[in-house]
Amino acid sequence: MKKIRLRVNGTWREVIVDTETVLLDLLREDLRLTGAKQSCDRKGQCGACTVIVNSEAVRSCLTPVVDLEDADVITVEGLGTPDNPHLIQEAFVLAGAIQCGFCTPGMIMATQVLLDANSEPTTGQIKQALRRNLCRCTGYTKIIEAVKLAGRFLRGEISPDAVRPKAAQGMLGVSHPRPSALAKACGTAYFTADYQIKGALELAVLRSTVPHARIVSIDASQAKTMPGVAGVVTAADIKGTNILKYLVADRPVLCKDRVRYIGDPILAVAADTRQQAEAALEKVKVHLDPLPALSSPEAAMTDTALQLHAELPNICFDQPQIKGDAEAALPSSAAVIEARFKTQINHQAPLEPEATIAYWETDEEGGGDDQLVIIGRSINIHYHLGMLQSALGWENMRYIEAYSGGQFGIKVDVISEGIAGAAAIHFKRPVRYIPGLAESMLMTSKRHAFDMRVKLAADRQGNLTAYCNDFLVDNGAYHSIGHVVAHRALLMLSGSYHIPNIQARGRQVYTNNPWGSAARGAGPPQANFALECAMDMLAEKLGMDPFEFRLRNSLKPGQTKSTGRVVQEWPFPELMEAMRPHYQRAVKEAAANRSGKVKRGVGLGTGAFGIGMPGDTSVAAVEIDPDGGVSVYAAAADPGEGNDSMLTQLTAEFMGISLDRVRLHTRDTGNTAASGPAAGSRVTYMIGNALINALEQLKTAMQETGAKTSEELEAAGRPKRYVGRKKNEDVGPLDPKTGQGPSFESQVHAVQMVELEVDSESGKVTILKMTTAVDAGPVINPQNLTGQLEGGMDMGVGFALREEYIAGKIKDWVTFKFPTIRDSFDMEIIVKETPRPKGPRGATGVGEMCMVPTAPAVINAIKNATGVWICDLPATPEKIKAALSAAG
Amino acid sequence: MQRTIGGREFAFDEEGFFNEFDDWTEEAFEILAHEGGLSLSTEQHRQVVRFLRDFYAYNGRAPLNNQLRKGTGMSLLELEALFPGGLKNGARRLAGLPNPKTCS
Repeated sequence: MKKIRLRVNGTWREVIVDTETVLLDLLREDLRLTGAKQSCDRKGQCGACTVIVNSEAVRSCLTPVVDLEDADVITVEGLGTPDNPHLIQEAFVLAGAIQCGFCTPGMIMATQVLLDANSEPTTGQIKQALRRNLCRCTGYTKIIEAVKLAGRFLRGEISPDAVRPKAAQGMLGVSHPRPSALAKACGTAYFTADYQIKGALELAVLRSTVPHARIVSIDASQAKTMPGVAGVVTAADIKGTNILKYLVADRPVLCKDRVRYIGDPILAVAADTRQQAEAALEKVKVHLDPLPALSSPEAAMTDTALQLHAELPNICFDQPQIKGDAEAALPSSAAVIEARFKTQINHQAPLEPEATIAYWETDEEGGGDDQLVIIGRSINIHYHLGMLQSALGWENMRYIEAYSGGQFGIKVDVISEGIAGAAAIHFKRPVRYIPGLAESMLMTSKRHAFDMRVKLAADRQGNLTAYCNDFLVDNGAYHSIGHVVAHRALLMLSGSYHIPNIQARGRQVYTNNPWGSAARGAGPPQANFALECAMDMLAEKLGMDPFEFRLRNSLKPGQTKSTGRVVQEWPFPELMEAMRPHYQRAVKEAAANRSGKVKRGVGLGTGAFGIGMPGDTSVAAVEIDPDGGVSVYAAAADPGEGNDSMLTQLTAEFMGISLDRVRLHTRDTGNTAASGPAAGSRVTYMIGNALINALEQLKTAMQETGAKTSEELEAAGRPKRYVGRKKNEDVGPLDPKTGQGPSFESQVHAVQMVELEVDSESGKVTILKMTTAVDAGPVINPQNLTGQLEGGMDMGVGFALREEYIAGKIKDWVTFKFPTIRDSFDMEIIVKETPRPKGPRGATGVGEMCMVPTAPAVINAIKNATGVWICDLPATPEKIKAALSAAG
Repeated sequence: MQRTIGGREFAFDEEGFFNEFDDWTEEAFEILAHEGGLSLSTEQHRQVVRFLRDFYAYNGRAPLNNQLRKGTGMSLLELEALFPGGLKNGARRLAGLPNPKTCS
């Protein structure tokens, strides 16, 4: 141990620490400065913990406190506060560089050091300075813009007030700063792990190291005697069903007699500190008897395969889709291509690891049980609350959503909450379950792998005639949203195009791989990869330009999608025309850069992403306040997309009030309407519509009575609160034999073009630029829209080129190949705003569409550059080299 | 799934909850309650159902347990005894409160 004197945010501190204590832990745990975040298991990979020490940007997770005698430490809290923010914090807010906000404090501190040394850095210098800071949301574009804007502020060229949008500019179509942005920029937004509870137990969880085994015995007797240990929790200690049922009752909170994937939880140890819990975990003896592992859908579909779940067949979803007569159309078509496409299991990779805390709120009035409060990262708090109540056997429960560091589908299902809640109930004590990154990767859901066998045909004129896609989805060990993913792939199977004859089949199969669930796009990014690559293959066979081939085959109003549903609007050709000059320029430039070993290519991808699932409903409540402001009560989670902006700006515009008089209540099951998940790109369309419906009722009551406040409205005999609904009219499942039937109420359309270079010797791909043309209807907040698109393009490129989750091998951000700012590339966005008749103020959503066309655009560009097809994602340099070698 | 009750079509989810809050009728409640083992509904049952429906109409969600206790003046044990199936699968289901929406 050593006594160290250091200055933190201007205040001298004296601390006594051991040699192991790092600055991050001192700041977060002892000084309660939680702006610096932990993501990468203290490996220095993410930069979320960056602070300034003696004028240098350091990763506080790698900085021993014993080395900091007399050091001057500045954290994001020392830079500015929401009441008095620093210019860099203002720049990040005003540039739209803050989405989930988890990386933001680290980014801002690294920026401060850069701008202190160089107030006018180039893009290259910014990339160098921020190279150790990861962001999953933004694609880094707006972060670079924020650094440049901060430089202008600091140089006195312009002031934040000059940049900040004015109320006179209106409420819609204007980039008013997100309501939560300043708190995130100043480190005052609380994420789950930022909450400390005095006397809380900390958990460590024993997880399966094998993909499939029978649990023969568990001996925790030695662990229970370890220092600080309160006890252990096993399946036998859970009073409820012990099953976290999302759609199918198959996933245990803690496994009882069998483990089904690497990472399946078996037992939790609770102790006074996490270190004590982890030490005790080492003493638990579990005897696992390995069972044959179902390593792929094919293996799980054989006659001799073990059935993974006793009451559920391994093929847990099987849905054909038949429109017209593809079998008859294929032989008579002028050109047919046939190919097999595979996509990988992937991690959604939110920067924030899993985290849950649970505590007891005393029933102060007596007469009932105490209330168990769960704070976590749910994006569907009401549904998740019901899941937890059933699984844990405790009714009196409430869920509060903390700020959460990225989503991308991973938070659709309950994960760490189940174990934390079970331990809190078992010990009747508060609990913190804050697993690290490696454990978070093990426990969380993943993007499903698809294996697709495809045929695509056209006539001599280049009109599509038939499409066949027989696809297998690797469901992994548990169902979660399972069949919804295959279902969505079928609902959007024909993409942007009119295809008169379809023969498809989607099968979802249980395996012993990591369990699949929602992942940005959830099905369509995988299926669209096959269709859009097949479009280029067929265009080549027909001798047509892939741009003209796509445009020729655009669906038109009055024609039908693969579901047989007629579309009323299809503003896709207009997007293609907007892209045309960019495409012509790119093709010309690529042709001039193909003779050397580094070859340039251009690739296109398109997408038509459904918004408003058949049968979807939503609800939102609004209330007029005593001062004439409006409170919104809707469980519309915002893990970074900008849903708080949407709710605020729609309300302000509709009611004719200022933004600061809109008060959002979105995070607590105790005061929100059950609006449904922040998933499926549905929040703007579904919750936004429910909100407008509620506001219409309120406004009518106010107009009819002349009331301007809650007091006046109630005095006039009208309620001050109104509940609005949105219900999609097309309801019901697809026909089980033909896959024809209800479809989405609307679509968001996009065209993406990738320009890249391939080093034909190393196989390395460098993305030069990506251009996206999008039509999501009238835009509510342009920065939020472009922010989604930029982040989506970056994520789509990772999916196409680098990322793959392999259980037990991918353990951190380096092995995952997380995109860094140095991987970032130029992006251009073209926006069209065709109003959708049923959208709130004509709008739809865009959060998932942004990566639906990306992977095929990348692969088509690689083909364009090199002449080789990579049909098995990710297209790593090794695969490209091998394909080039095979092609001679 | 669709089901005809008292000559009228109703849509339920897979757990037997009304898809639509506004579809619910007192007649449907009586029939479903009888099917669920409630031989005779009493004013107490109807009081709980009224509270649940009023609460949902006002808030867009089901009440938490402490709100249910305060709103009905009954203990949780009394409430659970009133409704075979318990609070969620008994009272809330029969009162026509839809399950929270999810991706399905």
